[in-house]
Amino acid sequence: MMADEAGTSYRQATAALAGRVLLAVQDSDGVNLADFLGSCRDVTAAMGAVRLVGADIFVPQSLLNRPVDTRDVEIVESSFSVFPPTSQPSTPEQRVMAWRDWATGRLLARLTERDPSTPGLSTAPGTVATVLGDPGDWQRWSIALAQLSSLAQPDVCTPVIQAVEEGGRSLSRGATRAVLRRDHPTAARLARWVALLAGRGTRLDLDPGLLIEHIRLHAGTEPSLLLDLAVARQLLDREPS
Amino acid sequence: MTSPLTHTAHDMTAGAMRWLRANRELGAFPADISGDVGNPDSVYKPLGELALAASLVLREGVAGAAQLDAARELMDFSWGQMRKGDLLYERQLRHPLMTDPLELYGHYVRGGRRHRALEELLEFNASVGSLEEVMPNRRLAVANAHRVVGLDRADDWEALTRATWLGMTPPPWAINWMTAYAVTHTVFHLTDWGASPRDVPADLADYLRTWLPVWIDIWSEVLQWDLVIELLIVGVCLPMAHCVPAEWERVAKAQHADGLMPRDGEPIVGDRLQRFRAHQHTTVVAAVGGTLALSRLLNEST
Repeated sequence: MMADEAGTSYRQATAALAGRVLLAVQDSDGVNLADFLGSCRDVTAAMGAVRLVGADIFVPQSLLNRPVDTRDVEIVESSFSVFPPTSQPSTPEQRVMAWRDWATGRLLARLTERDPSTPGLSTAPGTVATVLGDPGDWQRWSIALAQLSSLAQPDVCTPVIQAVEEGGRSLSRGATRAVLRRDHPTAARLARWVALLAGRGTRLDLDPGLLIEHIRLHAGTEPSLLLDLAVARQLLDREPS
Repeated sequence: MTSPLTHTAHDMTAGAMRWLRANRELGAFPADISGDVGNPDSVYKPLGELALAASLVLREGVAGAAQLDAARELMDFSWGQMRKGDLLYERQLRHPLMTDPLELYGHYVRGGRRHRALEELLEFNASVGSLEEVMPNRRLAVANAHRVVGLDRADDWEALTRATWLGMTPPPWAINWMTAYAVTHTVFHLTDWGASPRDVPADLADYLRTWLPVWIDIWSEVLQWDLVIELLIVGVCLPMAHCVPAEWERVAKAQHADGLMPRDGEPIVGDRLQRFRAHQHTTVVAAVGGTLALSRLLNEST
């Protein structure tokens, strides 16, 4: 398979899986990863999609208290065998992936009530500042934060949530910048963080509901984006814990 | 004095004033111009903007000797083109509801020029509300001109301000290029171009300090230098100034060695007159921006 074909295959698989999670959030069906894998011609790409969607696979459990499907847990755990996590992240991209993997590991641990079987998922990959950077550099900081949108779930990664609360203005600016640049995927990812903070009672510089609605009305139908918006809406409507 | 931004601001003004002085004759009226002035945007209003820049350089008094000389010379040149106010007077007589003679006259008054007959006419027009219906931010321009000239209309500044886009503090993404100009001018007129930052209501100042960095960033990315400098000036006009060196340096790099400040990222083309007409406004804005930033920085460091 050529590299661009593989890229297309991974993108399609990721979009398809995000669409499944979105349906699971909207309806009461499960994600059913086994069925997802069976529907994909390229199983490797499908496992890659499982790794990329990561912690968001468990949004129905994390946000809506749906029961855990142990087969989904097993498949997510096996995706770490196919694509092992980076043990020593050194580039910005690796650091982002390491934090996303850690979030997946945290959710697995919570849902299964046991430590993750995959090495490297049980400890935080460095400090939050190493992945997000300086909140004063709000453009870069918010872009990095958007890449960590799968962490924007209740009580998954407390250190990151604390850092985001301290950078509320940078978050608001980054979300506004993304909307004005019509970078709707980034805007939707940041809207999750905006909604998470608002749901926790943090005062923000912008109206989270208006932000989510603006993106919904302008951003099209890409499944990952719609999933981010659905999560954002759920986070916003959540009772403060 | 040693802040990098003071040097950037000083150099921006110095270059812009040098270019405006060297090219001023390109902005002159043709012979035997009347109060109709032809297309008001081609020569008439740019002459008023030249007077604005000169008046602010003189008012702030922070420029070097060469810039102060240039400001006096440009004020004389512009006032001379207006036939020492007679042209404004004729235009106001012919078009009693038009606000531009008043708005331009305010710049000359700020620069120490007066025309008695025009003021008598403006005072009468003001007393009877002889005023065309204008955009809310333009209405503030009229109010500020009345204030500068010294004609008391007892304007309700709070109500006028709340009628503007800025006054309603919409979501910060509900803005476009033209509306951003409305925002800048709302602040310019509220503060008389930075003379009274405290006249920006506290909630609007907070709103602007929060969102200016975003607007400056996105319009810098697409090289809209004219708008970017106006937004930077807004930051200087706030009660607690928003003055970020990196934002100024990004646009300062676009200024040409001869002082021309390009309006955007498009290639600079055409002969000398075409270049002048295309970029004189932005170069005026650069002169104003550098002057107001330098003044604010120096005043706050003493």
